[in-house]
Amino acid sequence: MSFDPRTATGLEIAAHVRTGRVSAREVVATILAAIEETHDRLNAFTTVTAGRALGEADAVDALVRAGRDPGPLAGVPYSVKNLFDLAGVVTIAGSKINRDDPPAARDATCVQRLRAAGAVCLGAVNMGEYAYDFVTLNAHDGPTRNPRDPARSAGGSSGGSGASVAAGLGALSVGTDTNGSIRVPSSFCGIWGLKPTYGRLSRAGAFPFVDSLDTIGPFARGVADLALAFDAMAGPDPLDPVCAATRPPSLYPTIDDGLAGIRVGRLGGYFATGGAPVVHAAVDHVAAALGATRTLEFPEPALARAAAYVITTAEGGALHRERLRRRAGDFDPATRDRFLAGALTPAAWYLQAQRFRAWWREAVATVFRDVDVLIAPATPIAAPYADQQTLTFAGRELPLRPNIGVFTQPVTLVGLPVVAAPVHLPGELPVAVQLIGAPGTEGALLRVARSLEVAGTCRAPVAEMLPSPVPAR
Amino acid sequence: MLEINLPEVVAEVTACCEAYERALVANDVAALQDFFWDSPQAIRYGVGEQLYGAGAISAFRSARVINFSAREVVRFELLGLGRDCAVSMLEFTVVVDGRVRRGRQTQVWARIDGAGWRITSAHVSHAASPDDTLDRFAESAAATLGLPLAAGHRPGVIAHLGVTAALAGQLLDFPLPAATEIAPVFTP
Repeated sequence: MSFDPRTATGLEIAAHVRTGRVSAREVVATILAAIEETHDRLNAFTTVTAGRALGEADAVDALVRAGRDPGPLAGVPYSVKNLFDLAGVVTIAGSKINRDDPPAARDATCVQRLRAAGAVCLGAVNMGEYAYDFVTLNAHDGPTRNPRDPARSAGGSSGGSGASVAAGLGALSVGTDTNGSIRVPSSFCGIWGLKPTYGRLSRAGAFPFVDSLDTIGPFARGVADLALAFDAMAGPDPLDPVCAATRPPSLYPTIDDGLAGIRVGRLGGYFATGGAPVVHAAVDHVAAALGATRTLEFPEPALARAAAYVITTAEGGALHRERLRRRAGDFDPATRDRFLAGALTPAAWYLQAQRFRAWWREAVATVFRDVDVLIAPATPIAAPYADQQTLTFAGRELPLRPNIGVFTQPVTLVGLPVVAAPVHLPGELPVAVQLIGAPGTEGALLRVARSLEVAGTCRAPVAEMLPSPVPAR
Repeated sequence: MLEINLPEVVAEVTACCEAYERALVANDVAALQDFFWDSPQAIRYGVGEQLYGAGAISAFRSARVINFSAREVVRFELLGLGRDCAVSMLEFTVVVDGRVRRGRQTQVWARIDGAGWRITSAHVSHAASPDDTLDRFAESAAATLGLPLAAGHRPGVIAHLGVTAALAGQLLDFPLPAATEIAPVFTP
C-alpha cells in the first residue's frame, strides 16, 4: 500500500511515524519538495524553515527508535500564518514594516506546544497585511492562489494556511480568526477549520489585530486532526491575558461519540438571505444529513456585524497608531486607509459597540437554551477570482472585500466556537458551512463534524496538484 | 404624445454631456461657453452664483480659475422628452482644497435651430453631505493624534470613517438597557 504524506491526514501520518512504517524525515522531505515544486503556482509560503523541519523530524525519529513516545502528532508537518513567532525568523504579519523587526527570540506558545506533541514546523505562510483582509492579495508578498483554481483567491486573511493544507503542503496549518480569517479560507479552499471559543487557545507570540476578538485555530483535511491540534495547543498560558486558566477537556477522545443528545438547527433570517445559491445549497446538504429541520434566529445580526466592525477598526487602528505615524506610506494600500480611519474612531462609538456586544452575548445565550449546534453559510460566495471587485448579494452588486465576512463576522463578536465544514457539491467550487456552538462546546461541534465526515457529507480532499507517492516500508 | 427616451435623442445628448464633461475637466472655457444656448434666456445657477443670459454665463466662465481634474461622475441619468428636448442629471465628486465634495448637476438640453443641442438651463449644487463634517473631524483628530493624513489617503480614510459612522449610528440608536455598563467585562 502506498502512503503519500501529501494526501495523508495528520492522524494517518502520526500512525505511520509512531510505528516506524515511515520516518518523519521522509514525510518532511516529501512535503518540502512539494512546497518547492508548487511555489510558483500557489505562493503559499513566505518562509520555509527546512533546516528546522528536518531537525524536528530527526528528533521524532530518534524517539521512535528509542522506543519512547514521540507524541500524538509525531512527524505531522504543519505551517503557521506568518504572524506567529518562530524562533530566529522575523514575524512579518503580512507587512513590509515588520520586516525591520529583529527575529523572534522564541516560538509562539502554540508552536512550542505543537512541537512538544511531535509535530514538525515547515515554516510560515502568507496572509493579508496585519490580518485586515479576506482575500490574501498581499501587496508585499503577492497573492496566494487557490489550489482548487489558481485564478481564484485562497481567501484571507489566513490564505496561506488554507492554500497549503488544500494543496497537501502539510497536514495542518495554524491561522487566526478575528472576523472570519479561518472560516473564509476554509470555505474558499474547501477544507476543515476550527475557530475555537475566544480565550480557549493561547495567542501568545501571535502578532495581534483586535484584542477583543482575536482567536487562533487549526486548518486540516480531517476532523481528527482539528481535535489533535486543538488538544496539543490547549491549556492555560499566563502570557495571554484572556487565555482560560483551566485546561479545556480533550476533544479527540470523543469525536466518534455520535450525534446523540446534540440538538442541531439552522440559522434563519439574515443567515438564510443573500449570497450565491451554492452556499445555501451547502447548508441544505448538511442540514439534511443531520436531520436538522428547526430554524432559529439570532436577534439583530446586522447590528452584531456592525459592532464587530466598529470594534475591529477602533482596536486595529489603535494598535497600529505608531506605525501609521511613522510609516503610513509603507502599509499595503488595501489596509492603510482603514487602519488610519480606525485610529480616528471616537470613543463613544467604540464603547457603544462593546455595550452592544455584552447585550448580544446574553441574547445569543438565550438561543442556545433550545439548540446546541447551528448551521449557517460561512461565506456569501465560493472563491472569487483574484481580480474580482464585486459580489452579488440579495440582487445587489456590492464591493467584494468588505462583504466576504457577512456571515462570519456577527458570530465572532461574542467569541462563539465554529467549525468550518467543507462541502464539495458536484460541479461546484467548494464552500464551507459554519457549525456554531455555545461558548466552550468545541466537543459537540467536532462530534457533529466527524459524523458529517464519516457520512461523506463533508470532506476535504487534497486539490489535484500531482502528488508523488512515497512507498511505505 | 410625448415620446420618452427616443434612442437617437439619448445617444446624441449623451455624447454632448460626455463632451461637456471633458471640457469641464480640461477647463476649456471656449468649449464650455459654446455648449450654452446663445440667448438672454439661458440661465445657469452655479453653487454660488445666479447667471442670467449667455453673456453673464460667459463672463463668469472666463473669469473663473478652477481645477476640476479630479471631478468624477458618480451617477448619470438622461431623460429624453420628445425629439427636441432632454434633461441630464448627474451626481459627481470633486476635490476642493484637498477635500472630497459631492455635488449634483441638472441641465436642460434643447435642439436649437441652426445650432443643434444646447444647454438652455442649468443648476449645480454641492450636497450638504456628512462627508464634510467627517472631513473636518478627521483632519482635527489626526492632527491631535499626530497622525499624517496625506492628500492621497484622505478620501479613503474619510470613506471608511463614513462607513464606521453609519454603523455606529445604528448601534447608538439601538435601545440597549440602561444598565448595560459602559465598559463591560467580557468573557464568552
